[in-house]
Amino acid sequence: MARKKNPGSKLSRREFLALVGTGTSVMAGAGFLTAKFSRRPVEQLIPYVVPPEDYIPGVAAYYNTVCNLCPAGCGITVRIREGRAKKIEGNPAHPVSQGGTCALGQSGLQVLYNPDRLQTPVTRRGERGTGDFHTVGWNSALTTVASHLDKLRLANRGAGVGLLTGDIRGHLDDLLIQFLGLMGSGRYLQYAFTNPTNLYSANAASFDTAQLPYYDIANSDFLLSFGADFLGMWVSPVSYSRAYGDFRQGRREGEDKGPRRQRGQLVQIEPRMSLTGANADIWVPAVPGTEGALALGIAHIIAGGAGRFAAALAEFDPPRVAEISGVEASTIERLARSFGDAKAPLAIGGGGAAAGTNGVPNLVAINLLNHLAGNIGREGGVVFNPKPAFGRTGMQRHGSYLDLLAFVEEIADVDDGVLIIAGTNPLYDFPGDERLVRALQRIPLVVGLSSFMDETMQYADIVLPVNSYLEGWGDDAPEPGVGMRVASISQPVVAPLYDTMDVGDVFIRLAQRMDRDMQRAMPWPDFHAYLRNAWRRMYDKRRDKLDYVDFDAFWTAVLEAGVWGETRRASQRNEFHAQVDYEPPVHAGNDVDYPWYFQPFVSQGFFDGRGANLPWQQELPDPMTSIVYGSWIELNPRTANELGVDEGDILEVSSPAGSLRAPVWITQGIRPDTVAMPIGQGHTSFGRYATGRGANPLSILSAQVDSRTGAFAWGATRVNLTPTGERIRFVKTGGWSRTLDRQILGPRSGETQEGGDHG
Amino acid sequence: MSVSVREALGAFKPAAIAVGIALAAYIAGWVAYEVFFPGTAPVQPIEFSHVIHAGDYQIDCQYCHIYAARSTTAGVPAVEKCMGCHKVIATDKPEIQKLTDYWNSRQAIPWIKVHDLADFVYFSHKRHVQAEVACQTCHGEVQTMARIERVAPLSMKWCVGCHEEREVENGRDCWTCHK
Amino acid sequence: MSLIKDLFTNWSVWRRPGYFESFDYSWGMVIDLDRCTGCEACVVACTAENNLPIVGEKRFSENREIKWIRIERYWSGEYPNAKLSFIPMLCQHCDQAPCEIACPVSATYHNQDGLNTQIYNRCIGTRTCAVYCPYEVRFFNWFSYTWDAPLEQQLNPDVTVREKGVMEKCTFCIQRIREAKDHAKDDGRRRLREGDIQPACAQACPTKAIVFGDRNDPDSQVAQMASDARGYTVLKELNTSPSIVYLRRVDQEHV
Repeated sequence: MARKKNPGSKLSRREFLALVGTGTSVMAGAGFLTAKFSRRPVEQLIPYVVPPEDYIPGVAAYYNTVCNLCPAGCGITVRIREGRAKKIEGNPAHPVSQGGTCALGQSGLQVLYNPDRLQTPVTRRGERGTGDFHTVGWNSALTTVASHLDKLRLANRGAGVGLLTGDIRGHLDDLLIQFLGLMGSGRYLQYAFTNPTNLYSANAASFDTAQLPYYDIANSDFLLSFGADFLGMWVSPVSYSRAYGDFRQGRREGEDKGPRRQRGQLVQIEPRMSLTGANADIWVPAVPGTEGALALGIAHIIAGGAGRFAAALAEFDPPRVAEISGVEASTIERLARSFGDAKAPLAIGGGGAAAGTNGVPNLVAINLLNHLAGNIGREGGVVFNPKPAFGRTGMQRHGSYLDLLAFVEEIADVDDGVLIIAGTNPLYDFPGDERLVRALQRIPLVVGLSSFMDETMQYADIVLPVNSYLEGWGDDAPEPGVGMRVASISQPVVAPLYDTMDVGDVFIRLAQRMDRDMQRAMPWPDFHAYLRNAWRRMYDKRRDKLDYVDFDAFWTAVLEAGVWGETRRASQRNEFHAQVDYEPPVHAGNDVDYPWYFQPFVSQGFFDGRGANLPWQQELPDPMTSIVYGSWIELNPRTANELGVDEGDILEVSSPAGSLRAPVWITQGIRPDTVAMPIGQGHTSFGRYATGRGANPLSILSAQVDSRTGAFAWGATRVNLTPTGERIRFVKTGGWSRTLDRQILGPRSGETQEGGDHG
Repeated sequence: MSVSVREALGAFKPAAIAVGIALAAYIAGWVAYEVFFPGTAPVQPIEFSHVIHAGDYQIDCQYCHIYAARSTTAGVPAVEKCMGCHKVIATDKPEIQKLTDYWNSRQAIPWIKVHDLADFVYFSHKRHVQAEVACQTCHGEVQTMARIERVAPLSMKWCVGCHEEREVENGRDCWTCHK
Repeated sequence: MSLIKDLFTNWSVWRRPGYFESFDYSWGMVIDLDRCTGCEACVVACTAENNLPIVGEKRFSENREIKWIRIERYWSGEYPNAKLSFIPMLCQHCDQAPCEIACPVSATYHNQDGLNTQIYNRCIGTRTCAVYCPYEVRFFNWFSYTWDAPLEQQLNPDVTVREKGVMEKCTFCIQRIREAKDHAKDDGRRRLREGDIQPACAQACPTKAIVFGDRNDPDSQVAQMASDARGYTVLKELNTSPSIVYLRRVDQEHV
């Protein structure tokens, strides 16, 4: 095309045309390529090779199983799409969870799909504790272990084999007992930090029944809780929360649904306001460890100088108890009056009240209150559970801290001892414990069964990766019970993601690699078969009373429901017959060098630390402080003033056992002589989300134990606080925690809003 | 140095023409791509012909696309389904031999998706099939296609148009299709 | 021309009183603060159900966290008489939502079931709606967040995974409402019944503090509980007409 040549340009017509041509083709090419690369990428349609029989793609399937993230044993329903687990809900038919879940339970999907899951067996290459492992095959790993065990067994030295596990109930427990029995060993201990050992023992002493009773909170109208964070993560939080809802405002469903005639009142007695304390009508900050005296003070008033315990209670008059516990005499009197006047009063104890050196006597004193209230075996009171549908109770399975030390040391003392550890992490619970670590180091073979390379697994020689609870089989008779016999079934909701198997499968396969006697004694192909067999035996015994055509029909029905059991509560009226006394708490550290009581607490997000590798839990704001991704130490404003520190200032927290650093959080919900820290962070090995984050309060606890049971007294340490001059800014949710007279928690005082105003 | 307005405009005109040509070339290039490579009938790993199966043999759509009346997705037949007949039928044809290779190595056939909606769209085959919308309404006359070709625009305007015409319950609510 | 006419017609219709009574459903909630314990099961349940991203510590420290439902905590008093109250705060699905007025591209609108909904791919990210929202329940995706494999296997296929640049907020688990309506249609029933649909938060709540239902159904729990003497709406003084009625926590300090 003709173009008037610009007087300034030096181009000839040919050059000009060449330029235009090039430019045009380049731009056309650019347009062409832009269109090509801006097109949505092609998607593929991948069919099945063989279509699945049990689901329709695009339609969800639901499987019932049991949550394993705390010992409560809540039944859950998992929503599955195309073979993947999508959502966990409570199983509405399960009497523990009754359709609800807790925050930790919801995160179970992140246990299953955690990027740091162990996928293959590994064996240690370097020194113990250096984290130097390399992958091996199952065959090689199992054969190594089996040959060790076989050698010991055939030499009649099988007693040198010990099994240390977390809380395991149901028929898996039976299988493990059987295996060890065949080995000639009785060395089987279940240890978990949160085992309520003192509660079992106190109930045994008080009522002759070593169990966790069913507290009928829903029907109580006055609940006196000594340190039990039952709305937090104490013992069976979903079950108690469910009951709490009804306790306050009546049932949501069923025949007797509707508001209650008398709203239940909750009094929480604890030195640091827990989640339960925040929800209480009255929060009573008593001196840590003195809860027993307080209970006896209330008992003194209720008994009124009469009855069997008059003499024992005589010395616990309000002024004396006030002096011991730091609670005003008038408050003690008011509490006693309300407890005595209530139609269905109930007293429970746990948490810090049970975590001192005087845990058992404190709990016995609290049990006395229930006896005096006459609520044993009654609606709204303490309901004892019948013998579980199967399996041993916690009292029979659990060991105390002293038991744990003795256990590990005994095996260490044996030549060729073998320690198998499954589902427990004592090196996180007791990181500085020299006795424990030294004993562990002396054991020639340590075999770990776990889904994650945690602190304890770092000390193993062979680590076998096991199924997460969503991939495996199991059954359970939950503790605490719900007042009637209940049996739950765990079934896989997805196929195992990796080359893993159930704990039960490991032992069956070990047996199959040992001598003929072992093989014959454990003939099942896998744990699923063993479980089915065990239930078949239970079915055969009750066949006439059950209304099923055959065992298969029964088994299918149980798997579909996830749970099976009775529907009526028992009502045993056990007598209270313990000795009643108050044992003052003993704390490690004197009150001059270590001026503050140190109260670690099980955290909403991480429980005892096992939830720290779940990103949803790390990013979940703590209910009381809203802090995420870190640790903190809670101080009363007076304490903070004394130390001259503000929010975020880092303190050195030192006890007779060690020290750590933590940033300050100032709260009105704690005694000035007490400081508190959440448990769960401070992992040194637990995956990418948890390792090296925060501080572990368990690391500075002195090795104090309960005077009766030897349980670890985690509430018996005192600390000193020293500002370090450093500070951090907390990562937490923003906003003011004051309503500033806005209508947020209700109409402004003096005003009423009409209800249901919308549209 | 100052330049007069007329001079400045004079300098502007050639530049404007240059830009105009560049733009036109760019657009032409884009259009050329869309015309010659529309992507509506991609080559599939096996030259499966609906003419033979749905046309000549009149096999019902839902014999193979089994989930259409039960699920959001219609599904593509499992390799096992194809082998149901092709274990014995036409086993000498090269395309069937490709199929058999997939089956023998237990591999799924990686079909290219022709009717693809954006990830934020919710489309339920079940609702449409149960509302007796013929497959051909959206997929075209499949029984005449040797290679599947997308003949419908699958645009929002097209979907909403039909929803309005048939007065679908909540048919104009965004959330009926957006998720 | 007709586009503009449509715009004005729709506007005047939408703002007319009684507009919402003509709807089929009117989804609402009642949250009983006397039952709520602040346990945050609802928070994690919502995160799991709706593909909420894990923003990470750094982004959280920039106040860019995304939690469609959160537990707010309010302190009053001083030791030893300190009191802490919890309130779950989520999108109130206001019938007179400020955010719906704000959006310049109508990416958020009120649907025929009384829900305030967000269309992700229409949103252009001006974030005006978040500024207008007095409850601060709208969250912007400042980044495209990812999940470390295989955590993404858990993602819910019924919910879009949002990209950088769009706003998001509680939808009352509209994907569950859609699924329930789908099942009801399969069964030949046209109307949803009480208990057919529960959003993730209500289903998870162990105290059953959150109740969800159809306010147009006089037999539903939400319709009946909404006239409870303890009932109120948050920030009522702003006249947003929320769909969520809270029941005040009972003060029973005197033993």
